[in-house]
Amino acid sequence: MLELHDVSVSFAGLQALRNVSLSARGGEVRALIGPNGAGKTTLFNAITGYVPLSAGRIALDGKAIDGLSPHQIAARGVRRTFQNGGLFPELTALENVLAGLHSRIEASFTGILFGSRSARAAERAALARARELLKSLGVAHLADQPVKSMSGGQQRTIEIVRAVAAEPPLLLLDEPAVGLAPPLRAQLVELIRRLAGEMGIAVLLIEHAVDLVMAAADAVAVFNGGVKIAEGPPAAMRADPVVLEAYLGHG
Amino acid sequence: MRFFLIPLAAAAIPLVANPYTQFMVNLMLVYILVAVGFNLVLGNLGQLAFANTALFGIGAYTGAMLMAHAGWPFWLVIVPAGVAGAAAGFLASVTALRGIRVYYLAIVTLAFGELLRWSYIHGERATGGTDGLAVPRADFFGLALDSETARFYVFLVIVTVLVKALHNLLRSKIGRAIVAIRDNELATASLAIPTGRYIVLAFVLSGFVVGIAGSLFAVLIGRVIPESFGLIELILHFAMVLVGGLGSLFGGVLGAVALTALPEFFRGFPGMYEMFFGGLLIVFLLVQPRGLAALAARWFPALRERYYRER
Repeated sequence: MLELHDVSVSFAGLQALRNVSLSARGGEVRALIGPNGAGKTTLFNAITGYVPLSAGRIALDGKAIDGLSPHQIAARGVRRTFQNGGLFPELTALENVLAGLHSRIEASFTGILFGSRSARAAERAALARARELLKSLGVAHLADQPVKSMSGGQQRTIEIVRAVAAEPPLLLLDEPAVGLAPPLRAQLVELIRRLAGEMGIAVLLIEHAVDLVMAAADAVAVFNGGVKIAEGPPAAMRADPVVLEAYLGHG
Repeated sequence: MRFFLIPLAAAAIPLVANPYTQFMVNLMLVYILVAVGFNLVLGNLGQLAFANTALFGIGAYTGAMLMAHAGWPFWLVIVPAGVAGAAAGFLASVTALRGIRVYYLAIVTLAFGELLRWSYIHGERATGGTDGLAVPRADFFGLALDSETARFYVFLVIVTVLVKALHNLLRSKIGRAIVAIRDNELATASLAIPTGRYIVLAFVLSGFVVGIAGSLFAVLIGRVIPESFGLIELILHFAMVLVGGLGSLFGGVLGAVALTALPEFFRGFPGMYEMFFGGLLIVFLLVQPRGLAALAARWFPALRERYYRER
């Protein structure tokens, strides 16, 4: 379970986030919505260690993770996707997913150099797991394609597969539906529901499309100007005058 | 096991080669290590570090000085030459980790190479200055390396072991981490991969391999001089990686073999080699930036660089 207490982030005097408290628990999809510049991606960057906090605390299962570097936070079981795409373009889908399994492969340096039996077995197990994941999430046919040759929707799917490969308890998705055609959006909603429902992952979802948020999220947190202005069930948020004001009020 | 077919076939070369062609083949073996070592940082890690002649020179001088001044046998200096190269690689990696990247890293590492060359020239008592240092007759566990054939077999074993180890490494989690950093360093860290550690590792391994190449070079040529490790040499190393294929182990081998053999075709035509060499670099940069290896992979998909192994 993730807990943020009064988290603030500022860049050179500009306050990007102010006293944000938020939580996420397993099996639940929580959407973060708000106009551009509201601080949603900054919040992701703060949770995953890409930007330092100026105040506040972030804890995962009761243990502080703020101040750790991105790879250390990832090692605690936090995975994310990137708004501009975080795949390795020269690698295939399979190789990308294998990179997501990196910390799961128990092989020593010398074992790898000399091709020891145990190192090869560990690699083989990861390879089987990666293929199985691609299959179970419906993209087995893309396994051997370099991701740079894929469509935007395929790339976003592969990035999600890679992010969940190591079965993280917490997953942060940054605008996964951008540029997706409507049928693919429905598939994405289904995928996100499965990650939370079947795998028990706590999902934080940044998304602009209201229909997708309504379909995928159990709860919605609304941001504006670096502040969390409202939080609650999707239907309630849709009718909340504060939320409407933030989206429509000042134009 | 298919991997070993190549060195096994190569083992027959002395049956057909005269001492001169055998010397050229030995030089190819040295340059195979130079190119695959350089490629690890330049092609796989994607860092514009041009310390390769520095690593090569440190290995050559470490080997030559230990043999000439301390009387060490050849087999005993190989690992220290590699370690000296690895130490220099470590220095370059620290530069890269401090955020000095791309053109700045290129300039800093170039300057490092020139600084070392200056120190070879001015450290006369240890290095022999501009005249260089003669390498005493080498022997390998009692086997005198006084013929090209003897050197060939020893070099072939060393090169096979090192290239095979790199081959294993590149098809493992380590190889994937290194190319992942090249493709997207921030995203790599998000997968619990300690990027800094793998950047250092790639530089150190590159230095180790190229440093060993330096010690083989010293034994093959019989003398180390500062001029062997200048900018022209660096351009040759760069061309081998580029023509062979950035980020491809097989490409590094191809590039080393092709560009070591190339001058032989221009022996009767003074000045032509330099022109052809320059033209070749331009053509590859513009038309085939992924080198011969990518061309080969287009015809034989099985040769495509893979970062995992089925068995």
